[in-house]
Amino acid sequence: MKARKVKKLDPAGTLAENAARIVLVRVGELRAFAGDALDPDASATQHAMRIAAKRLRYVLEATGFCFGRAATSARRRTKDLQDLLGEIHDCDVMLPRVAEHRRALRRADADAVYERAGTDPDLDPKLAARAPHRTSYRGLDVLEVYLRARRKVLFDRFTELWHDSEERGVWRRLTAAADGEIARAAEMRRAAERAERARLALEEAERVRREAAEREQRAATELAEAEADVS
Amino acid sequence: MAKAREIPGLSTDLAYGEVAARVLEVRCRELMDHSANVLDVTHIEGVHDMRVASRRLRAAIEVFWPCFPKKGAKAVLSEVKGLADALGERRDRDVAIAMLGSFAAAMPHPDRRGIASLIEEFEAEQLAANDELEGPVEPARLERLEAAVLELAAAARDAAGGSSPAGGSSNGSAPQQPAGEGEPR
Repeated sequence: MKARKVKKLDPAGTLAENAARIVLVRVGELRAFAGDALDPDASATQHAMRIAAKRLRYVLEATGFCFGRAATSARRRTKDLQDLLGEIHDCDVMLPRVAEHRRALRRADADAVYERAGTDPDLDPKLAARAPHRTSYRGLDVLEVYLRARRKVLFDRFTELWHDSEERGVWRRLTAAADGEIARAAEMRRAAERAERARLALEEAERVRREAAEREQRAATELAEAEADVS
Repeated sequence: MAKAREIPGLSTDLAYGEVAARVLEVRCRELMDHSANVLDVTHIEGVHDMRVASRRLRAAIEVFWPCFPKKGAKAVLSEVKGLADALGERRDRDVAIAMLGSFAAAMPHPDRRGIASLIEEFEAEQLAANDELEGPVEPARLERLEAAVLELAAAARDAAGGSSPAGGSSNGSAPQQPAGEGEPR
């Protein structure tokens, strides 16, 4: 899953403002997956959501101190989400491996039993009863049962954790803190612009005053010279 | 899992580039410190810690991407990704073997045989993954990576105008990736 681009990052700006922009995009990304990921069969979306949680978690690890307690609780939640979704993914990856391994053992057993049949016109069931891997199947069947049931348990915990996070406003508070940092930075920029405008106005007034003083000085000199000529 | 090390002296009004430099330096040190004994398959936490450190370093590069010279950052990110992928391949097998081992231990003896044969498959894959990992964790290669990361950190610091807060003395000159390009993933 490709990460969404973060716009308006400014290397010369403050960490807080840049971090806020990244956090807002990453929270949005995470929450966008929730609708589909809460379907128990949506394993691809759950995997994508895990990656989104990981991205947000690592951003918060590096920059969370900019957003106070909202970031601390969000970071913990993203870690819990990432862990749970990771374990669900482990089950999803392991299940086809178990099935494939069992198929491979059965194929090998079928080949071995066939070999033992030799030139017999039909297959004696006793030969199948001595298939080399015959005692391996049950453990793999039980493993599959375990993985399927464990996935359900983990999925229940995931949905519970997600709903609890929403109810407690974990993402809302983080978003508000990030929005606050962007607003604060914008206000600081506006204040800096006002200060710059005032500085320029002051410089302009000083220039006008200086020119007026120079004109006054020149006029006084001319007047003195004219009076001297008259006398 | 190893906890992320604290980054000393961070504050919200530090320049983005200065924070980038500090975070990168600490995350790089973390990665190097976890590289010892990583090829030892009997000590699986070593791979895990180094993998997490590589993820943290990768995340730091991505979070602070606009602060770095583009060419150098791309090369470092690609090396870190390659390293993280190789560590991940090993780690996936370590986790699978540990999970299957503890599951088998909880089963009655007759049910363990099939699981043991699956574990053998994963053990073969674990050794192959370890062979693939040898290159990326070779000391000379890690030293080159460390030097390249520290170069990125220095460039970010220079661009931010040393350690002064943003707006104070940032010369705004060096970032070679224009602002607003965002993070690559």
